[in-house]
Amino acid sequence: MSFLAPLFFLGLAALAVPVLIHLTQRERKTVVEFPSLMFLRKIPYESVQRRRIRDWLLLALRLAALAMIVAAFARPFLRGSQLAAAPGGARDIVVLLDRSYSMGFGDMWTRAQRAAAQAIGDTTPADRISVVLFADGAEVALRSTPDRSRAVAEINAAAPGPGATKYGPAIKLAGSMLSESLLPKREVILVSDFQRGGWQPDDTLRLPGGTLLTPVAVAPGDGVNLALAPVTLHRQSAQGQERVGVTAGVLNRSATAVNDVGLQLEIEGRVLQTLKVSLAPNASASVAFTPVAVAAVNTHAAIRISDEPKGSSPRTVGGQLTGGGEPSGSPKADALPRDNVFYFVLSPSAPVPVMVVGQSGRSDASLYLARALDIGDAPRFESSSQAADALGAEVLAKSRLLILNDVSVPEPLAQRLTAFVEGGGGLLLAAGPRATWPGSRTAWLPASLENTIDRTRGAPAKLSAIDYGHVVFEPFRAPRSGDFAAARFYSYRGLKAAKDATVLARFDTGEPALVERTPGRGHAIVFASTLDLSWNDLPLKPVFLPFIHQLGRRLSGYKEQPAWLTVGQVLDVGAAEAAAGATLGASSGPASRTVLAPSGQRRDLAPAVAAPGAPPSATSAALELVEQGFYEVRGSGRDAGPVIVAAANVSLAESNLDRMDPKELVAAVSGSGNAGSIGGQDVLPDEAQELAQTYWWYLLFAGILLLIAETVLAQRYSRAAS
Amino acid sequence: MATRSEIPGARFVDPAVLARIGNLDLVAKSVVDGLINGTHRSPFFGASVDFAEHRGYVAGDDIRRVDWRVYARTDKYYIKEFEADSNANFSVLLDISKSMAFGAKISKLDYGKTLAACLSYLANNQRDRVGLVTFDEDIVNHIPPSAKHLDVVLHTLDKVQAVRPGRLGPPLRKLAEFFGRRGILVVISDFYEEPDEIFDAVGPIRHRGNDVVLFHVLDPAEIDFSFVEPSSFEDLETGDQIPIVPDALAKQYQALIGAHIETLAQRASQQNVDYMLLNTGMPLDYALFRFLSMRERLASRR
Repeated sequence: MSFLAPLFFLGLAALAVPVLIHLTQRERKTVVEFPSLMFLRKIPYESVQRRRIRDWLLLALRLAALAMIVAAFARPFLRGSQLAAAPGGARDIVVLLDRSYSMGFGDMWTRAQRAAAQAIGDTTPADRISVVLFADGAEVALRSTPDRSRAVAEINAAAPGPGATKYGPAIKLAGSMLSESLLPKREVILVSDFQRGGWQPDDTLRLPGGTLLTPVAVAPGDGVNLALAPVTLHRQSAQGQERVGVTAGVLNRSATAVNDVGLQLEIEGRVLQTLKVSLAPNASASVAFTPVAVAAVNTHAAIRISDEPKGSSPRTVGGQLTGGGEPSGSPKADALPRDNVFYFVLSPSAPVPVMVVGQSGRSDASLYLARALDIGDAPRFESSSQAADALGAEVLAKSRLLILNDVSVPEPLAQRLTAFVEGGGGLLLAAGPRATWPGSRTAWLPASLENTIDRTRGAPAKLSAIDYGHVVFEPFRAPRSGDFAAARFYSYRGLKAAKDATVLARFDTGEPALVERTPGRGHAIVFASTLDLSWNDLPLKPVFLPFIHQLGRRLSGYKEQPAWLTVGQVLDVGAAEAAAGATLGASSGPASRTVLAPSGQRRDLAPAVAAPGAPPSATSAALELVEQGFYEVRGSGRDAGPVIVAAANVSLAESNLDRMDPKELVAAVSGSGNAGSIGGQDVLPDEAQELAQTYWWYLLFAGILLLIAETVLAQRYSRAAS
Repeated sequence: MATRSEIPGARFVDPAVLARIGNLDLVAKSVVDGLINGTHRSPFFGASVDFAEHRGYVAGDDIRRVDWRVYARTDKYYIKEFEADSNANFSVLLDISKSMAFGAKISKLDYGKTLAACLSYLANNQRDRVGLVTFDEDIVNHIPPSAKHLDVVLHTLDKVQAVRPGRLGPPLRKLAEFFGRRGILVVISDFYEEPDEIFDAVGPIRHRGNDVVLFHVLDPAEIDFSFVEPSSFEDLETGDQIPIVPDALAKQYQALIGAHIETLAQRASQQNVDYMLLNTGMPLDYALFRFLSMRERLASRR
């Protein structure tokens, strides 16, 4: 028997503690007042100090418990046991098993499991095995155990997922696990198809020194591999109806030409159209489906490769056969079916309703503004005009952006506007000569309106000190992306920015020109001049149109939502809800949300914690897409908000089965140093032997049991004595 | 309240019951009256009218003490002498050091106060002058003997408390100056001093012709040392503590305290000092009875 930390035996001095307690503490716990110690002092000292130990069993229990605890801390082990010493030393093995969806090619996964199980079977009882499953992320399935059957069971229970291969995280995880290893040899067994796309050379990616990386390459075997590329959507309006044209791309990743591959366009699970395409080896083709009308939001759509043509009259789109040989493959034999479907979401385009409020009888004042808003489709602004005095609550409810173009705002309207913005709407106030704002609500406005500053004499004012980091000006950031300094301002209103407001642009005199504030869930911006030619010539400048569009996007909270995402990406649920119109009408975001995953699994989505000081609208939730298919996010409660549907597709890059030479990867990540045993040991080091035996745990457990027994016994004695 | 004793016909009162009465006057009266009625004779101080002898008249003698009957018969002047003075000075010296506060049922101080009250009452009944001295390491109260001081004595006894550590020597040596006139001095103490020191302190008083009586008051626990649990024992006067396992040293303690008592008794006998050990567990009137019996026995021998 040896001990890893024999110094802990100094703790045996603690054995004196119970004896001292028996001999001293028990007697001292009560104090008896006595008239005089005159005679007691005359009694020889020894006879006073010598005390009788009455409860020998208690004392023995305490001593034994302490001795066991001390022995446990000393970490006992049997040196040179049969657990040690496979030839060359015991190994700490990390099995990295690639479970990206490309491993589902043919019977590749079965062979990979078999290869991993065989690698585990070759280990000795002294080896410790960890199992890590990886795709674009790595996950420890089993951590450092000598139990080989458990490791094999974990591998057999695993299945390829929808993720793409990334070797970096897996190797980094294996390295960190092995860096803590105490065994003399460290080894990583990497079972993968070694796709080139999964490897990005990284100088910082290194396994610990002396670690042996053993690649186990699983060949993909024969088979056709077709993959669908992301679709392209074209929206067109005809006779007031919007139709969406879908163009799908298909790739033949194999060296075999395929013919008459059926591509189906599915809407809500129903096949609407089927087109056929033929593909040469390693070629691609695209097919355009007939535009379809999309009536409902969040329409589930998919392109699927099918060998069974469906639909009324399939058309054949000729692929380019360049190989010259006869097509011998068939989509039926596609060995990798995961990339044979592409999901996306179709929704009718939702124009952003913009209400331009001007002085009655001065429609020319909004001419440039209205023209600018009518152009463009991302988003499409649907502008309408209204006089200030006719602006009712129902008009506000239908708008997401309100532009006050040089109007006088009475108190009741200001009150409605305040509620509108705080509920998520946007407000742009262009301050011309007629613009007023109630004095009682000045604090709410981003900037209070001051006197008019006349620059008709002398040099006109120019915009300078623009905050290009802000969303509004971000597109103009790059050189030659728009020159605001070309616009001349002959008059403008002085602005006094509120404390919590942000000045986005200033005139060359340093006075604020554009000030933003975020009250509640919406945005409000004050522009110090007009949006027509009365005070400036900005509407004549090329930057006017993108500037108005950027203001419109910012103030309306418009965010373009992609029709599809890739597995591994994160869906910003809050942004998606905002884009779907959740910000209007609801006083706050839904209290809780439920996610319905493609697999049918339902779970609650916890809202993310808002950053301190962030506006309420910043409170959102993130959903990581880990499955292929459609995710649905529904709010619960009275203000449930819109349903969010997100399509998740597998990464197209993963369908490319081009292989890399495993040696390249081994050379890149193997650390310097000998791959053999550390220090040439042929037996386990003491630490490893102790770790394998873990006698300390039994000793500690026995010590604690003895202490419990001692406590029970002492209580019984105490009761009996009293 | 009353307990049967080994003495036939006598009923003694439990000291703890007496202590609860509180009124020392009443206590002393009930104890002493009961005792005198039981014995019919008080042998304590002798009868002041008892004739002792005749002696020849010498110049300076008070002619009122001339026995004229003898002169009529013998034509010579004889002075009639009596056994004792009828009005003796009777003083109680009560130790009120902190060690006297010890006691389970009744403290030694309460026991001593009751004893002092009883003796003072008894003496006052015999028309002796009664006085009181309380002391610890110094004299605390000093009431000179007087025929009218019984109330003061009882009141003072009622008020005294044991608060300070005590020493026998210094106060008694100081008191020797006050007791020049022969009298009876009763010292009530637990005598936690070496016998030499005790009798060095008592000696000067005794040598001035005073009749000294030592009452050694101890609690039963101090004699039997009947403690069981190992504990820290704290000296009431000094506050010192020592850990004690009573089982282990009870016998040694009993031997030591027994030897101390024996030594005190022997030295008292040698110096013509009356000594009596009083166990506070013993009824007070029983203790008084035993003591008066002893006095009577010794007086007849003297």
